Amino acid sequence: MSDEIKKQETAEPRVGVYICHCGGNISDHVDVKKVAEAVKDIPGVEVSHTDMFMCSDPGQELIQKDIKEGSINRVVVASCAPSLHELTFRGAISRADMNPYLYEHANIREQDSWVHHGDPATSKAVTLVAAAIAKARGLKPLEAIRVDAANHATIIGGGIAGLRAAVDLAASGIEVALIEKTPFLGGNASKLDRVFPTSEKAGDLIAYLADTVMKSPLITIYPCSEITGFEGYIGNFTLTVSKKPPADAVPGDIREKYFHPFAGYYPGQTPTEASEESLTTGVIIFATGFELYEPSRGEFGYGDNEEVITLRQLIRDMADSPQDSGTLRINNRTVRRVAMIHCVGSRQIPGIHEADEDDYLNEYCSRTCCTATLQAALEIRDRYPDTQVLDFYRDIRTYGHNQEDYYDRASEKNVLFFRYEPDESPVITRESGEYPLTVRVRDKLTFNEEIEVGVDLVVLATGMQAAPITSLVEMMKLPVGSDKFLQEVHPKLRPVEMANGGIFLAGTSQAPMDINEVCNAAQAAAAKTVALLGKGYVELDPFVAAVETDKCKGSGKCIEECPEKAITMNGNLAEVNPALCTGCGMCVAVCPENAIDVQGWSLQEYEDMVDAIVKF
Amino acid sequence: MATDANEGKILILATESCAYPGANSVGQAHSSYPANTYILRVRAPVLFPEHFYMDCFRKGISGIIVMSCGEECPYEGAYHAFAKRIDNVFQLMKAQDIDLRRLRLTAICTVCNRPFLKEVNDMNALIKELGPPVFKDAAEA
Repeated sequence: MSDEIKKQETAEPRVGVYICHCGGNISDHVDVKKVAEAVKDIPGVEVSHTDMFMCSDPGQELIQKDIKEGSINRVVVASCAPSLHELTFRGAISRADMNPYLYEHANIREQDSWVHHGDPATSKAVTLVAAAIAKARGLKPLEAIRVDAANHATIIGGGIAGLRAAVDLAASGIEVALIEKTPFLGGNASKLDRVFPTSEKAGDLIAYLADTVMKSPLITIYPCSEITGFEGYIGNFTLTVSKKPPADAVPGDIREKYFHPFAGYYPGQTPTEASEESLTTGVIIFATGFELYEPSRGEFGYGDNEEVITLRQLIRDMADSPQDSGTLRINNRTVRRVAMIHCVGSRQIPGIHEADEDDYLNEYCSRTCCTATLQAALEIRDRYPDTQVLDFYRDIRTYGHNQEDYYDRASEKNVLFFRYEPDESPVITRESGEYPLTVRVRDKLTFNEEIEVGVDLVVLATGMQAAPITSLVEMMKLPVGSDKFLQEVHPKLRPVEMANGGIFLAGTSQAPMDINEVCNAAQAAAAKTVALLGKGYVELDPFVAAVETDKCKGSGKCIEECPEKAITMNGNLAEVNPALCTGCGMCVAVCPENAIDVQGWSLQEYEDMVDAIVKF
Repeated sequence: MATDANEGKILILATESCAYPGANSVGQAHSSYPANTYILRVRAPVLFPEHFYMDCFRKGISGIIVMSCGEECPYEGAYHAFAKRIDNVFQLMKAQDIDLRRLRLTAICTVCNRPFLKEVNDMNALIKELGPPVFKDAAEA
């Protein structure tokens, strides 16, 4: 059967068209039955089906059945964006023994049903599918380019995500370069004390992973290092690693190779002079972490009053506070009553919160701060029962496993809750009364009663924001979301992959996460890396230039145009080196004989698509 | 079929690494725009020779927006070669009395929702004002 299918690939095109409802994402706005009916009589179309979810097993089996029965030798699927499922359908076709490149994708969700409605949406879907059919008819079977892949991964960031991924990769026999810009391992987690929901010491978790990393012969740690050069492709990246001595020398008391609270795990090897190194690596994992929001001066009194601090500062200061006192002491001052304010620098609203110089606001929820705040509140109540805790929140989001307990326990421990609206946030003022600061707020829980209360300390639960990795983003051309975090291909279906092949995400470089989620993501990224590099080779799309030898007259114009020097003259004919060709198509436009084309993206195919767009 | 003949059609050549995901981002935001727009995914628009654009106009396309990666083009030298090529297309358009505004070159990033919508709406307003393209040689024939 398989040989018969192969034979059919070069026969007269017989296109199978499959139109997806996408639940209702498409069919709520596009009459998919009407589209299937409208395209079924286009010359070359053999079958025209619809399905609730083409990406589901039954949907894919529909295609495979038609291939195996010999009905079709070209496939068009009209569904969501090709970045989501082009590979899915190519895989389905491949498993049915047909060449996966005899496939064209029509994007009728992101570029149709989600932006148009009613008859225009249905009409546009017909046109887009007709254009895809026109292209599919002209497709030729292609073979993927197989290249050796380095059994090596580079992890950027030595925080808990980077450490977790490094340990897993080394356990699978993959060499790892762990690039860390500071002299310490542990990242932001090093700045924590006990972490929810297990109340373990963050330092113990870091030390457990870092000890394993230090002992592994497969892991090389690059402290005080950054990536400054990037080229290559999946399986074969070349990176430049630049090392330089830290601006501030590492103090002598934290130069032992173990975890130092609030500093990190010192791995040694701090460089004393600048140097550069080139690395060949198969995969890059972004474990670049986050940076904490820094409140602007005057925001909830921050910067103007030393009694207003961030949650991170509180955690640091509490670690130094005497254990046996009935009342919390911070910076040698007794804290009889503390106000904790949620959503500082998170869930910002245009028109209410002040945008930065780029007109940007952190509009997302930072997710981890609610539980972290409640954990700190509980710790105060447990360790210093004479200190009162007032909690000012917009919404409580203790979303994770066992985290709701923190909210319940905080209530049991007499933490007092007040709920505020974003346009009536708590106002902090300095007073000369019994307490140095006064908090004023309109409390939703007591039907908008105005509350005025004196406090010794205000703690701001600041959120996570994207780490400043602009140079890496620009160098590697990485997709970034509107929240400035790195963006995965699909949040559910491909949650740790970037659109750039061979680049994966681990942890808070992608979004705010707690340590559980960070380690989930890091292990997922490591598993994807092992699956990718385990074969020893990667397959690249064969979308490179190819010469039609019967048309080529040897003008040499393509050779002059090619920036990669991928084309040479072999006798009187141009010849392309597919390993060097990037498939940009510069050669296509200059050939006077139209004798060179990018496979899978030929000029003729585009002209056929334009004809279909004009006609339908 | 998608539009009536008088409405005119806009062809958008969108680069797969920048503008095409940018158009998807507009979709993810459910921001509406005219339906007479047809996006073709391209690796780099430098692939198209001058005659491709003229042929599109002759076939009846009313406006073309090339949404590239601009200076962020992943292919070395491609953007500058392309910009030069577009200059040649403008010369050909001028020779045929085709309003140069029917061909628009712009850079659209993966999250450039507002610029995408502006370009599309501007071109739609323009082709409504201008009507279908008429070639000088066809008018004289």
